[in-house]
Amino acid sequence: MAEVEANKQLSPEEKKRQEELAQQTVAIKDELRKTKRQLAMVLDLNKCIGCQLCSMACKNTWTKKEGREYMWWNTVNTMPGKGTPKDFEKSGGGYKVLFEGKVREPIRGNLPTRKEFGDFWKFNHEEVINSKFGTSVLKATNPDGTAPEWSMNWDEDQGAVGIKYPNSFFFYLPRICNHCTYPPCLDACPRHAIYKREEDGIVLIDQNRCKGYRFCLESCPYKKIYFNFEKLTSQKCIFCYPRIEKGVPNACARQCTGRVRFVDYVDNEQGPVYQLVKKWKVALPLFPKFGTEPNVFYVPPLAPPRLDETGKVDLSKPRIPLKYMVDLFGPEVEQSFKLLQQEMERARDGEKSELMEILMAKRWKKMFGPFDKDPETAV
Amino acid sequence: MTDFRFTRRQFLKVTGVTTLALSLDSLGFLGGTAQATEKVFQKWEYKGWESLHRDEWKWDKVTYGTHLVDCYPGNCLWRVYTKDGVVWREEQAGKYPIIDPGSPDWNPRGCQKGCSYSNMMYNPDRVKYPMKRVGERGEGKWKRITWDEAIDEVCAHLMDAIQTEGPETVIFEPGPGNGGWIHLMAGFRFFSGIGATELDVNSTIGDFNKGVYETFGKFQFCDSVDGWFFGKLILIWHMNPIYTRIPDCHFISAARYNGAEVVTIAPDFSPSAVHADEWIPIETGGDAALGLGVGQVLIAEDTYDKAFVKEQTDFPLLIRSDTKKFLREPDMTGAGREDQMYFWDTATNAPVKAPRGTLTLPCDPALEGKFTVTLKNGQQVEVRPGFDIFKEMINRDYTPEKASKICGVHPETIVRLAHRAWKARGHVQVLVGWNSAKYYHGDLMERTMCLLLALTGSVGNKGSGIRGWNESLFDGATALMIREREGLATVRQVLSMRGDAKDMREADPEITDEIVQRELEREANKKRMGMVPPAFLYYYHSNYKQTWENKAWHCPTMKRTFAEYMNEAVDEKGWWKPYVRPARDQNPQVYCFLGTSPARKNRGWWKNIYPELWKKYKFIFTVETRWSTTALMADMVLPGAGFYEKTDTRFPTPHVPWVTLTEQAVPPPAEALDEWEVFRRLAERMKKLGEERKFMKYTGRNETEIDLSVLVKHQTLNRTNADDTLDDALQLSAQLGTLPEGTTIKDLRKEGIIRFTNISKIDIIGKHLATDIKPDEPIVPLTYHTAKKIPYPTYNRRISFYIDHDWFLEAGEGFPVHKDNPKMGGNYPLLMTSGHQRWSVHSIWITDDVLARTHQGRPFMFMNPEDAEKRGIKEGDLVRVHNDFDDFKIHVKLTAAARSQDETRPGQIIIYHAWEPYQFEGWKSYDTAIPGMIKWLDLAAGYGHLNYYRWNWCIQPIDRAVSVEVEKA
Repeated sequence: MAEVEANKQLSPEEKKRQEELAQQTVAIKDELRKTKRQLAMVLDLNKCIGCQLCSMACKNTWTKKEGREYMWWNTVNTMPGKGTPKDFEKSGGGYKVLFEGKVREPIRGNLPTRKEFGDFWKFNHEEVINSKFGTSVLKATNPDGTAPEWSMNWDEDQGAVGIKYPNSFFFYLPRICNHCTYPPCLDACPRHAIYKREEDGIVLIDQNRCKGYRFCLESCPYKKIYFNFEKLTSQKCIFCYPRIEKGVPNACARQCTGRVRFVDYVDNEQGPVYQLVKKWKVALPLFPKFGTEPNVFYVPPLAPPRLDETGKVDLSKPRIPLKYMVDLFGPEVEQSFKLLQQEMERARDGEKSELMEILMAKRWKKMFGPFDKDPETAV
Repeated sequence: MTDFRFTRRQFLKVTGVTTLALSLDSLGFLGGTAQATEKVFQKWEYKGWESLHRDEWKWDKVTYGTHLVDCYPGNCLWRVYTKDGVVWREEQAGKYPIIDPGSPDWNPRGCQKGCSYSNMMYNPDRVKYPMKRVGERGEGKWKRITWDEAIDEVCAHLMDAIQTEGPETVIFEPGPGNGGWIHLMAGFRFFSGIGATELDVNSTIGDFNKGVYETFGKFQFCDSVDGWFFGKLILIWHMNPIYTRIPDCHFISAARYNGAEVVTIAPDFSPSAVHADEWIPIETGGDAALGLGVGQVLIAEDTYDKAFVKEQTDFPLLIRSDTKKFLREPDMTGAGREDQMYFWDTATNAPVKAPRGTLTLPCDPALEGKFTVTLKNGQQVEVRPGFDIFKEMINRDYTPEKASKICGVHPETIVRLAHRAWKARGHVQVLVGWNSAKYYHGDLMERTMCLLLALTGSVGNKGSGIRGWNESLFDGATALMIREREGLATVRQVLSMRGDAKDMREADPEITDEIVQRELEREANKKRMGMVPPAFLYYYHSNYKQTWENKAWHCPTMKRTFAEYMNEAVDEKGWWKPYVRPARDQNPQVYCFLGTSPARKNRGWWKNIYPELWKKYKFIFTVETRWSTTALMADMVLPGAGFYEKTDTRFPTPHVPWVTLTEQAVPPPAEALDEWEVFRRLAERMKKLGEERKFMKYTGRNETEIDLSVLVKHQTLNRTNADDTLDDALQLSAQLGTLPEGTTIKDLRKEGIIRFTNISKIDIIGKHLATDIKPDEPIVPLTYHTAKKIPYPTYNRRISFYIDHDWFLEAGEGFPVHKDNPKMGGNYPLLMTSGHQRWSVHSIWITDDVLARTHQGRPFMFMNPEDAEKRGIKEGDLVRVHNDFDDFKIHVKLTAAARSQDETRPGQIIIYHAWEPYQFEGWKSYDTAIPGMIKWLDLAAGYGHLNYYRWNWCIQPIDRAVSVEVEKA
């Protein structure tokens, strides 16, 4: 890994040059990170039903061709689970925060394989149609001829392991690129091909600069970057910037029929994103421990009460263990749950709750801040 | 994390130590390639490349689209984006207006399947040419033929069948896979035009809520889904909306944020339990006991809506203690109506006739007590209000403790559910799917769900009731057929002016419009439509007979043999005689399936249908867009048009009360043709063939006269294409007042959706809604009954909790009770349950290469890890699932969400359908091991609402809770 390079004996000149380079690199990275405004998304996990409409909306818009076929810039996984790419939670990456937060050094994690992402399958339709009944079975094959052992959503609806019926639990976690305020991918790229757009903070990989080193894949702790094996570049969620530029919400957000996703500039104090993230503080980033400051936030999932051995409702602890929620969303999750439950209780008692009104999102178009255009007429 | 960000200036102050520290990893990241690093100092225009994706988000053409499939509720409006002559993608139009200002709007209706039809259109299993089997049936040898050859051959087979065995031996099986109005109608019209037998779709697939029907006299009512938002207690019960009602789920989550409680009742921690306020894990099939337990608490605590129960239900009707039958007019007077019942008037302390023409009470009827009446013959008998008997029974058998022993739900949970229901009274909403409908005793479960609604007065209000089915908002299509037959005047004719209706009213002055129309429909079906439940075709011509006659797989409370009941129902009582089509002495000849895959959906097809019935058919054909398993087992496959390749609308339901357009974005591929055109060609050819064979007129066994010279006119409704037919239907609806005045296809092309303005007056299925559409409120069914006091179309004209049909009394099911699941398939420790899967509507999308990658791309079942471990089964293993009926192989996914087995109670395996059988080894799908039993009481009839008419009171195949064992394959 990286140590191999670092351990090389350097001449004083070389060392000096390296130091200069490093200084300049950090300066450039800082420039590439700079934004005037930041777009953000809030996903309400209490509404997400795991239908993958967002994934298909994204797939059909961006990843049906030119080596992107195997990619899912948007994914939905059952949690707890191994997700996509397989075991992404344990794949490493992120930042080492040094010097009291002054320097964020990307950590090199695993490079996920095509198969861990689910790969691109082919099916033997022709063979099935033209064989005697019962002799040929329709099945998927990976490009290398092997049988698939993983997919984008392989462990769907299985949930917690090591728990006994009836106290199983699971929920759905949709993920896109987090368009982090401190994207390790940006810092890890030797080509400086990754940048945050100044006007909206969308993190993009410049397809003309990228040479496919894949350090970004390694450093992204969320593993939301794919390598294009045809174009030999890295690609990922682009926050639908061509739509955003025309005032149209992202495909995943606008097409979400569960009305899970809010989109807005994070500094729009009147908008639902600000209200949920900054004001009510019920929406939290995934894995804050990685230090990347994601701009995708989640309203954490409540669950029905667990049951004791006699089958009686047991309110002494939640069905989804708090520790697991803290692992995912940080210690703030406890307060978020408290608020949600308290406001829900108020709504049940017939009182008005501002928080519940926001989450209810009675008017669909208001979920997207200034992005209220219909795609059909926008272009 | 802090908000700390350093500027370039600040950075420059950072000491070399920092840089060194950075060099450890960051320089490593640079890959040691100095060259690459150097380039960063060059000027670079970062935005330069961004045109790449901007250029991708462009298209040539936008059209409207929806999916012509019996997805329920479906009817999502999409925009279809085409570029370079290929449908590129679709995106929800998102243009539903605000209806009820108090509720969330409907946008953006759609799901991942709808979003993927653009992929499915171009999937490699698309049928593109007329294909003829050249090897043995199912051998996989196909030959491309021309349309002329195909049409000639189909018609020759049809004509041979009609001439040799009779038109009834042509069997047409429509299905939910192509729910387009106009194109499907073309198929219906063709087959009815030649006098063929049509199999009733509800009776084939089992989507008939029998218990709801038994109770309300109909099941074809439901609210618009925005009504869910107004529910205060939403009971998700035998439904998995998170898989099957994807576009509607947001109304549930919004209701929850609005203060509603959501309770999910299911044996497994189902996906629809994830977002519930409480999940009630229930013994598989224990639902009736739970419902009765909750009912017991409500009644025992005296928290039930007495006014509702007295006015709307049959609970106050008097029942004779000696015969267990209702006290009837002939008992009291020696004459009069069999269906005239009595109340006990608490004021006069005497029996009073329960009005049949209104629900308005003539007195304050007793709900409790034992009374004595003197019959006409002088005999004194004890009578009791049904409620009194029922109360005694539930207090005896269904206290929370006793119900708990049956259903496995903790008594405290039962009590809590009762309290919740009472708190939400008036607004308890049961979200039931067609899962209960597929349990052996599903009717008993549904009857107890209805009980909770009655006890809490949760009928006829916004956010209340139970959902059934209803597809007849678009009456223009129905009107087209009436117009063609009897002229436009008849369409507009007030129902009461029709001669046949007049006769009925004379015979029973208190009859309601709804009942009159139902009876007219029954007669029309017998005479003209030829639609029958498939049970008799199966019983007399297939191996289902042996399966159904296996007494061990029936409920032990079935006192006589299945054959005895069948004989009594068909021959002795004659209840089903008109529906034995083809007759016992006729051999089935030609079989056409359309929009369905019977080899997949027929329970136990390999054993029940394939060995005999399938081989009896001389010719099997279909019009299909994709190679389904059944298509591969057929003789001829004709290529049909996809959903964005023709103009049509899918049957609209009150759930989503808009007529929704799909239009041609691209022409059908290769030689595919739209179905309207296929059937027009078939009709033309049949007419010609009739002329050639000098066989133009013939009479069916039901004395229908067929005239092939009018077949084309009959089939095309005098139009030359589907678009004009749709336009006709829209205009007729506008004239009939169900769509806005002056609506034509031009308006629909402009808007994509048009909301219905009223419920059809001419279509009985629409009429079952018994309500009006208001412009700014959800559709709330049954308000004619609750507000206008119009009687229900049941035998006793009230919401019926007592059925005194002889067979029901013999079975001990006069009142709803709990009965255990019979051991269908044999004595095995696991129960197989199911439901619609997430990734396909029926099997239409299941072979989609892209969607397949959002799951495992292969069939699988869920199993509890403990049950698996006992059997040495591990995650991902291929296992053999077997019972005494058959077996199949499937991969395992372990989850503690599935119910585990213990000493006394069965475990659960869950297989969501519908996979193609050819995705299983040997093409034996999970349906293979399902015997497809029917409950004998389905054959009961001759009792008011318990009589067959299309899609109603029919014989239901059972496929849930079949007993199996699992072993490593």
